[in-house]
Amino acid sequence: MSMCNPLGFGLGLRSEYYQQILEQRPAVDWFEIISENYMVEGGKALYFLDAIKEQYPLVMHGVSLSIGGPHAIDIDYLRQLKSLADRVQPHWISDHLCWSRGNAHQLHDLLPLPFTQESLLHVAARVRLVQDVLERPLVLENVSAYIQWGTSCMSESQFLAELSYLTGCELLLDVNNVYVSARNQDFDPWQFIMELPHDRIRQIHLAGHSDYGHYLIDTHDQPIADPVWSLYSKALSYLGATSTLIERDDHFPPFEELLSELAQARAIAHGVISGATP
Amino acid sequence: MSLIIQQAALEAYLTDESTLPSDVLLEQIRSSTALSALEGLKIYHNAYRARLLTVLREDFPALYHWMGEESFEQLAMAYIAAWPPRHFSIRWLGEKLPEFIGCYVAEPQLSPMRELAKLEWAFTLAFDAQDAEALSLERMSSFSAEDWISLSVSLTPSTRWLPLQYNTLELWKTAKSGDRLPSITRLPANQDCLVWRHDLVCQYRSLEPEEASALKFFIEGGSFAELCELLLPEHAEQAPLQAATWLKQWVSEGLLMRVGGIEEVVSE
Repeated sequence: MSMCNPLGFGLGLRSEYYQQILEQRPAVDWFEIISENYMVEGGKALYFLDAIKEQYPLVMHGVSLSIGGPHAIDIDYLRQLKSLADRVQPHWISDHLCWSRGNAHQLHDLLPLPFTQESLLHVAARVRLVQDVLERPLVLENVSAYIQWGTSCMSESQFLAELSYLTGCELLLDVNNVYVSARNQDFDPWQFIMELPHDRIRQIHLAGHSDYGHYLIDTHDQPIADPVWSLYSKALSYLGATSTLIERDDHFPPFEELLSELAQARAIAHGVISGATP
Repeated sequence: MSLIIQQAALEAYLTDESTLPSDVLLEQIRSSTALSALEGLKIYHNAYRARLLTVLREDFPALYHWMGEESFEQLAMAYIAAWPPRHFSIRWLGEKLPEFIGCYVAEPQLSPMRELAKLEWAFTLAFDAQDAEALSLERMSSFSAEDWISLSVSLTPSTRWLPLQYNTLELWKTAKSGDRLPSITRLPANQDCLVWRHDLVCQYRSLEPEEASALKFFIEGGSFAELCELLLPEHAEQAPLQAATWLKQWVSEGLLMRVGGIEEVVSE
């Protein structure tokens, strides 16, 4: 069984749907915000955040922590993140196992790390620092990768398991990212999931990708692909009930289409958890 | 190779114009059956530029429309090379673009291009500027005589005051509607333009010179009575009515708050 008290089935909160969410109160169990979109001084984003917070549980998901970066942890960023968390009172705060900033520049991408002992010690020390400031466990997500470092001596899932053991951080299993990376990097997606400590998995992400023939790109602009649904179903049979969230970041469909995907996730989970065939 | 050197090699590749990585970096990446090391690296190289270009296009849509795809992309790439992203939020990427244009092109293109970029960036700033309680007509209706005497106002924090030399507003409006753009022309006299946010929506309008002077006088500490005096030579006994009309409009538009400072985009 996964971590207790799952939130149910949620959607990424995007400005395209603010009005509809407030007016129609859709049957979504919770929303996940992109933290950086709300680290601003005022305006529309914070107005809708406060209004939606009154009606739905929220979770914060960041893209700029750069937990594996070569630079010092950005304390100003962390303070702003903590300040946002004080406002939002999220159920948890997540970011990615990656680096997104170099020594000189923000690279604004989720770059993979070499999975080595050196990286593990580097990231673990930074996770502890972040957790001290945020005063809660950090939740870290596996990313989609298009390269793998030759120096890696363990898999990403083994790395995440070790990191969680060393720091107490929790994990966000992005099933689509597992599938994309597995196709791009020749590994077995099911083995990846089995290598994760199931009792540390706080949340699941589902999203769509683009198929470029011999490789995949994690674009979040398509419906969830069938093999990802299958992997999700299999993952739930291993994890049990787990908070599940669907991300959509481009080519935004009518909100009803996202609700329909959410209903599909619910049906799969119900089938798996109750023992029926999904 | 240590982690920090591996990361420095990838950072250098991503931020370099060349799509070919160094041999040192290439040797660090393991190919798979789906993606060779070079293909994988190129995906990140392309994504870095594409992502930043998309943000600049979204933040400067009229400039993009005016320059055309190819010229705008050349400007964007030169800008990114000169001002690579430094803020954790990609929302700040375009902050230095108006300034950068000053060293990217020469006159006669420079001034109108920079003016358009400043106007568009003013909208970006207004969009998520600090919230503030704007002075309302309802609040003013309950003002005491003492309130009127001591009334001191500033523009709300989202407000940007731009002195325009060209038909930039017309160009911006046309670009927004998707119509054929007018040619750039210099205005007979400078035109003051305000960009601000009211009720969550970005607003803009130009000011006639007399209204601009009156507003500037008022937000720089002039009292309502003094404003009426200022208008006396031009409006005679209608001066108080004119002052009241403008004040009502500024308040209705959500431009004013009690106490604060003016933030002006100074022309260079």
